[in-house]
Amino acid sequence: MLEVSNATKIYGEGPTRVVALDNVSLTVEDGNFIAIMGPSGSGKSTLLNIIGGLDYLTSGEVILDGKRIDGYDENALVGIRRGKIAYVFQQYHLLPSLTALENVLLPLIFAGDGSNEKDAVNILKGVGLEKRADHKPSQLSGGEQQRVAIARAIVNRPNLILADEPTGNMDQKTGNEILELFKRLNEEGRSIVMVTHSPDIAAHAKEIITLQDGRITGRIQRDKKKVTS
Amino acid sequence: MKLYEIVVKDIMRRKRRVLYAALGVVIGTMTVVGILTIASAGETKIYRQLEQYGPNLTVIPAINNLDMKLGNLSMGTLTVGENYIPQEQLVKIRQIADSSIRQALNITDEGDIATIAPKLYENTNVNGVSLVVVGVDAQQERIVKTWWELSKGKYIEETDEALVGAIAADLLKLNVGDTIALNGSSIKVSGILKETGSADDYQIFIALATVQSAFNKAGMISSLDIRALCNACPVEMIADSINKNIPGVRAIAVKQIAKSEMGLVEKMNNLMLALAGITLAVGLFGVINTMMASVHERIKDIGIMRAVGASRKQIIRIFIYEAVFIGILGGIIGYLFGTALAYIIGPLIFEGTTIYIVPQYFPLALILSIVVAVAATIYPAIHASEIRVADSFRSI
Repeated sequence: MLEVSNATKIYGEGPTRVVALDNVSLTVEDGNFIAIMGPSGSGKSTLLNIIGGLDYLTSGEVILDGKRIDGYDENALVGIRRGKIAYVFQQYHLLPSLTALENVLLPLIFAGDGSNEKDAVNILKGVGLEKRADHKPSQLSGGEQQRVAIARAIVNRPNLILADEPTGNMDQKTGNEILELFKRLNEEGRSIVMVTHSPDIAAHAKEIITLQDGRITGRIQRDKKKVTS
Repeated sequence: MKLYEIVVKDIMRRKRRVLYAALGVVIGTMTVVGILTIASAGETKIYRQLEQYGPNLTVIPAINNLDMKLGNLSMGTLTVGENYIPQEQLVKIRQIADSSIRQALNITDEGDIATIAPKLYENTNVNGVSLVVVGVDAQQERIVKTWWELSKGKYIEETDEALVGAIAADLLKLNVGDTIALNGSSIKVSGILKETGSADDYQIFIALATVQSAFNKAGMISSLDIRALCNACPVEMIADSINKNIPGVRAIAVKQIAKSEMGLVEKMNNLMLALAGITLAVGLFGVINTMMASVHERIKDIGIMRAVGASRKQIIRIFIYEAVFIGILGGIIGYLFGTALAYIIGPLIFEGTTIYIVPQYFPLALILSIVVAVAATIYPAIHASEIRVADSFRSI
């Protein structure tokens, strides 16, 4: 379980001071699927970065499984990135010199388990890309690249997946396929926090949070049973 | 799959950039290898000239002249010791010389190493002219006297043949094929030497055994010259050892005449190496620059790797691996270019020098360029490891 309480993030000082997050509190229960919506500049990406330790808070707390992780330095965050929290980005962010399979292997290599190619192959198979294993990212379509990125995110078996507009660069059909993949991962027990512009995509989440000017302006819980448990 | 394999794949994608970084290393390594190769060729040439000055050691009988005194009354001098070295000592002298050289060069070769040329000098009369006949071991003598050249005929091969010094031949009006009488035995002139400017010009060289038997000096030697085969041979040590272990003889190390010439060459080499060091340092900064550019170019990749769990140490290692690769590449190219440089420039510096490829400089070139490449990469690598995930994506 991950809790964000009274999170405030302020960029800049004086006249250029921007309040990106204003006293935001949020709980990600295990197994939840939260969509964060809001217009550009509403602070939704900042919130996601704060949750994942990509950015530091001005004030407030982030607690993961009972431990405060805001203020963790880069070395301490390595432990969280190896198996607790994983990211999926809008731009896929695959390494261009490596094949699809090698990109999936990457987290295992850094975790000292680079010989475990079987896991990587299975996971690539799970996202339907076993035939593309030896292709470089430049030889894959956007949807395929995002599948590789998702496979890379789950290869270390994280509990929480943070996705920043994962379907933002795709046509509707491909976007829906990626969304289905996320739903399946959620059904398998992983928590998902996804930032999205699209109400259609958000409609598939269990909980929708809307942000405006750094404040939470709405919460919709579609699956009350799950959330209140 | 291992971390270094990721690095190799990345290098393959950025061949030009990596080659460019390697060139920074190449310039320095090339200069060092080039200078060392030229210097070693120059040294070889000078040593070869030095060798022609003759033997490294001369062994003579130890003769002591003792003043005989009784109170204040001098009773003349008494010569103590032999005027000759017994020929059987030759074996012992060879053992000492060869084992010292083996030890110094760390070799286990069983054969003869040093050249040992025994001589027996006899004053005699040939055709009414008084001169010195030298009994020699023809083969060994020829190795010791590198400056000998024939003006006529051939070297002695048979026991009844003689090689005549230029002036002696002139005085005696001898020619190839003439015979001379030596205490009753008849000796044929097989060759006449060109003038050397040394005592050799006045002497006649005949096989040692022939001279020994003609003068009833079987088993006796007046002196012997030793020439070690190498420049680094411990001549003084051999002399000491012979003096300590063999009674009745005195071994003298011939001073290396052109020591000062070597000193000059060394000074020049040091100067050139200092220049090479500067080139190396310039190359180092070139590599630092290229690596910094490479870090900036790959900020996004570094961010990705951090995001999927790379630690700071792993990011540093990735850059160090790349540096080692650049070092190896730079070392190979630097060695090849350096040797080529020596071929072009060497003959201009030491006139008439032949440049040889020196394989020992290859590992040196490799180590040198790896050290430079890694040293140049430390700062950029640390810088790269400080890149934070969020910053790396924001910068795109």
